[in-house]
Amino acid sequence: MQRLKAFPKAKLTAVLEMMIQKATVWVPSMIAGVSRFAPYRPGTDIQMGTNTAISPKEALFPSTEKIYKFSAYGIDGDFEPVDPSVGPQILFGLRSCDMQGILCLDDVFLTRGYVDDFYGSKREATTLITLGCVTPGADCFCASMGVNPAEHDASDAQMYDLGDAYGIIARSVKGEALVKDLMAAGLLSDTDKSQGPTADFVLKVDSEGITEKLQQMFDHPLWDELSRKCLNCGTCAYLCPTCHCFDIAEKKRNQHCGVKIKCWDTCMFSEYALMAGGHNPRPSKKERVRQRFMHKLRYFPERYGKLQCTGCGRCIAKCPVNLEITDVIKLAGEAKSDG
Amino acid sequence: MNQITKEMRDLARELLASGEVKGLIGWTKGSRWYLTPPLFITRPEEAEQLYFDQFAVNNLTGLLLDYRYGDDKIALFVKGCDSRGIVRLLQDHQIKREKVLVIGVPCMGMSDKKAVTDPRQPVELPLLDKCLECRYPNPVIADRLIGGALVSGEPSEPKGLTASEAAKRGVGSKQADRFAQVKAIEAMSADEKYAFWQAQHEKCLRCYACRNICPACNCRECIFESDKKGWVNKSATPTDNAFFAVTRAMHVAGRCVECGECERVCPMDIPIMALNRKVIQDINELFGESDAGTDLDGKMPLGLFKNDDPEEFM
Amino acid sequence: MVEQKINPVATLSDVKRINPLIPMKAKVTRIIDETADVKTFCIAKEEAGRFTAPFRTAPGQLAMLSLPGVGEAMFSATDAPEHLQLSIKKVGVLTDALHEICPGQTVGVRGPYGNGFPMDEYKGKNILFIGGGIGLAPVRSVVRYCVDHRDDFGQLHLIYGSRSPADLVFKYDLFDTWPAVRDFKVSVTVDRGDDQWKGNVGFVPAFIEQLRPDPENTVCILCGPPIMIKFTLGILDKLGFTPENVITTLEMRMKCGIGKCGRCNIGSCFVCLDGPVFSLAQLKTMPNEY
Ligand SMILES: Cc1cc2nc3c(=O)[nH]c(=O)nc-3n(C[C@H](O)[C@H](O)[C@H](O)COP(=O)(O)OP(=O)(O)OC[C@H]3O[C@@H](n4cnc5c(N)ncnc54)[C@H](O)[C@@H]3O)c2cc1C
Ligand code: SF4
Ligand code: SF4
Ligand code: SF4
Ligand code: SF4
Ligand code: FES
Repeated sequence: MQRLKAFPKAKLTAVLEMMIQKATVWVPSMIAGVSRFAPYRPGTDIQMGTNTAISPKEALFPSTEKIYKFSAYGIDGDFEPVDPSVGPQILFGLRSCDMQGILCLDDVFLTRGYVDDFYGSKREATTLITLGCVTPGADCFCASMGVNPAEHDASDAQMYDLGDAYGIIARSVKGEALVKDLMAAGLLSDTDKSQGPTADFVLKVDSEGITEKLQQMFDHPLWDELSRKCLNCGTCAYLCPTCHCFDIAEKKRNQHCGVKIKCWDTCMFSEYALMAGGHNPRPSKKERVRQRFMHKLRYFPERYGKLQCTGCGRCIAKCPVNLEITDVIKLAGEAKSDG
Repeated sequence: MNQITKEMRDLARELLASGEVKGLIGWTKGSRWYLTPPLFITRPEEAEQLYFDQFAVNNLTGLLLDYRYGDDKIALFVKGCDSRGIVRLLQDHQIKREKVLVIGVPCMGMSDKKAVTDPRQPVELPLLDKCLECRYPNPVIADRLIGGALVSGEPSEPKGLTASEAAKRGVGSKQADRFAQVKAIEAMSADEKYAFWQAQHEKCLRCYACRNICPACNCRECIFESDKKGWVNKSATPTDNAFFAVTRAMHVAGRCVECGECERVCPMDIPIMALNRKVIQDINELFGESDAGTDLDGKMPLGLFKNDDPEEFM
Repeated sequence: MVEQKINPVATLSDVKRINPLIPMKAKVTRIIDETADVKTFCIAKEEAGRFTAPFRTAPGQLAMLSLPGVGEAMFSATDAPEHLQLSIKKVGVLTDALHEICPGQTVGVRGPYGNGFPMDEYKGKNILFIGGGIGLAPVRSVVRYCVDHRDDFGQLHLIYGSRSPADLVFKYDLFDTWPAVRDFKVSVTVDRGDDQWKGNVGFVPAFIEQLRPDPENTVCILCGPPIMIKFTLGILDKLGFTPENVITTLEMRMKCGIGKCGRCNIGSCFVCLDGPVFSLAQLKTMPNEY
């Protein structure tokens, strides 16, 4: 059996410096007081210890992107597509929860008949390097959602936390090329160490059977109770690695031209489903909160066969009123179904 | 269980059982020791879930907006800072006085959960900055009082059951620093200021948590909600975000009650209060010192014309 | 896990262009005034001086129409080789602007979207069309298909109603084209008549009760305002139409049209992709949130 290759943590910047020769490398970093994935530059404040406050979906599905330009002069007008392609990029140090989140986004943007090229072209240009997680954060509960924090087999390469070093193995052709480059640069050496066990989670929840349970709970009073304190803000959805809703909106430069943008949106906003004439299928907080949790735990699994919550805990960490998805799962699990 | 919690539960039970109120907004113990989120109850037996401690930081007054068109009378608990939100909603004619029952609680100062290091191990935490700077630790308006709270429309010392604890923890001890951040930013060069705000606005997600929690942000339809008019757009670029931030700050100018909730809920830690305080400082300088939401019958400086108002822009 | 019965996506390979979110440039070639607030727009793409439909649509499918600088919205499409037809009611920002334009105006279109009606399944059956107001737009695409493939179907019967005679859309079809088709009965009603109106006066549901269409070997295609649908469903049930044989189309707010933006979901279905055509039997398995 081949031995694990590793590089010392002290050599992290050397590894990143090498990688940025060939690609944009998104690393967990501290930017203006908030941790997020951002393109590595010499001097970047790298944060490998805990997961980021904002999910790495930004690298594949930015909060705002131009999709085409338009112009309008009297009865004439034109549309000019914006090239969706990007250069090669690496997402470095993804946790398992976020890798799972990308699989959810893949299902939405790349399957069921249509490919969204704005996501697709970025996804294709991206090499995903996951990092085993040994010290889960206060709000993490990925293990409860069927995600293995220690490693994720869908990435291109997996890193392991070996204490003072990172072990790395390739999982795909893209990953192999990357590991080969690191070898050639003399950055890797053999090691006998292995990643220790993941520490116990503070947050745990039994999500077994939640989809089936929620199929019986559309009209349950629980939604009314849960939604009372919700602010219907976008915090939970915008931080979430799996939330994929977007708006297609217009940004006019002047009377004659402008750009169409694809930008994040959320079912929590009151005008999200509002139609001309004022009919809103989800008129109050109750319906919007129900939609959010039903989508994550019932509708998405029905459509794509997997839960749309990966247990990353971001919404729990930042919800201004502590409306926690773990509580929703627990309360729904305990509730009497309404048939 | 602490004494305030006990009094809370007793009063809530009584109010709901007698039918005096249809619903009640308070706090409950959350999933971890450092969380005490909002709770809405309608039945007397649910009163057992109420809880109060130094993590009941949520200002509950904004939640009243959900009931502004209803006929039900709602009760809610307010700390000193929260209570100014009630005045805000009343002055803005968002709620009817007789449809809300305000219960004042004394406040020991709220702890900063950002200082938690071990989620399993309760420890004494430092106070939030806003509590160190607090000038209104006692409710400015209340129909009922618990825990020995006292109503005071003026800046005052913490009163009631937790008065000594509040003093010990330093509530109000840094009142003089209220405008320190504004002064620090004012001292920057134009380029430095630009860089500072640009970095902050780069972060904004346009999640609108700041708007949604705010008792002063009470428009029925916010222009940032509507894509119909074409005045604003949804793109979250630094320029558009700055436009949002400044519009929001100007729209609560003279009405912001300094509860600090916008800044607390911002998932991106944008120093929103720096903008609000800048506006407050300017209003104080132009029209004389005042505190929004402390005097129900008083007129807000921007809503009151005086012959000697400064008007150098005319 | 409960298997949801949803029509497979009808379109796919034939529609997938380079990028499904980018509109195709097209021109409005003709505008027909239907009523005071409904106009029919013929939209074509120009190639070497010839006008052809930007894309072909199956009955019940949708097209996303945009006016650069104003906005974009989804409409039911009626197919023809030389152009796409969209009948549009003036209700808001985009539709107001559309009602102001003249032929020759450049617009953007993308599509076709949605499943459309499974016409093969209806072969050999009688078809009862029921429409109310602008709801005749999606119905018309099926009617045109049935007329074009007249021999594939049994008896055809259209029951249509609007608020007043002035609000009747597609009058040329209702009173000229369709009554001339073999074995095609057209029954029209209005909520309130006027001096000239000789036809039936009354709401659509009551009119159906009076006409008592036979459910035997019949598929009913029903589109109209929610209130009409609600009462009509009760009557159809009484007449013996089974939920499998009552077909309707749904409207939800839409942005992408391709099942990505999340906007139009009802439970785990996306109306833009899995709909807008659903049988009543399917609707009964979905959350009541539309
Ligand atoms: C599947 C489907 C088929 C439709 N077919 C037709 C048709 O054949 N003829 C017709 O006249 N109308 C049809 N509509 C309705 C049409 O899309 C709306 O009338 C139109 O979006 C209103 O746009 P507006 O900008 O004028 O209205 P505004 O009130 O200014 O609307 C602002 C935004 O709200 C959304 N919106 C408003 N109303 C609706 C609605 N009813 N459905 C979906 N989104 C809405 C749009 O995104 C619009 O851009 C259909 C809608 C759907 C979903
Ligand atoms: S659950 Fe929390 S984060 Fe999400 S919309 Fe409600 S208040 Fe905002
Ligand atoms: S729902 Fe919350 S915990 Fe689950 S993946 Fe999204 S942000 Fe993470
Ligand atoms: S809460 Fe913060 S991130 Fe959200 S809109 Fe307000 S300023 Fe922006
Ligand atoms: S602007 Fe901020 S501090 Fe002022 S009232 Fe609103 S939430 Fe409170
Ligand atoms: S319109 Fe975007 S999912 Fe249906």
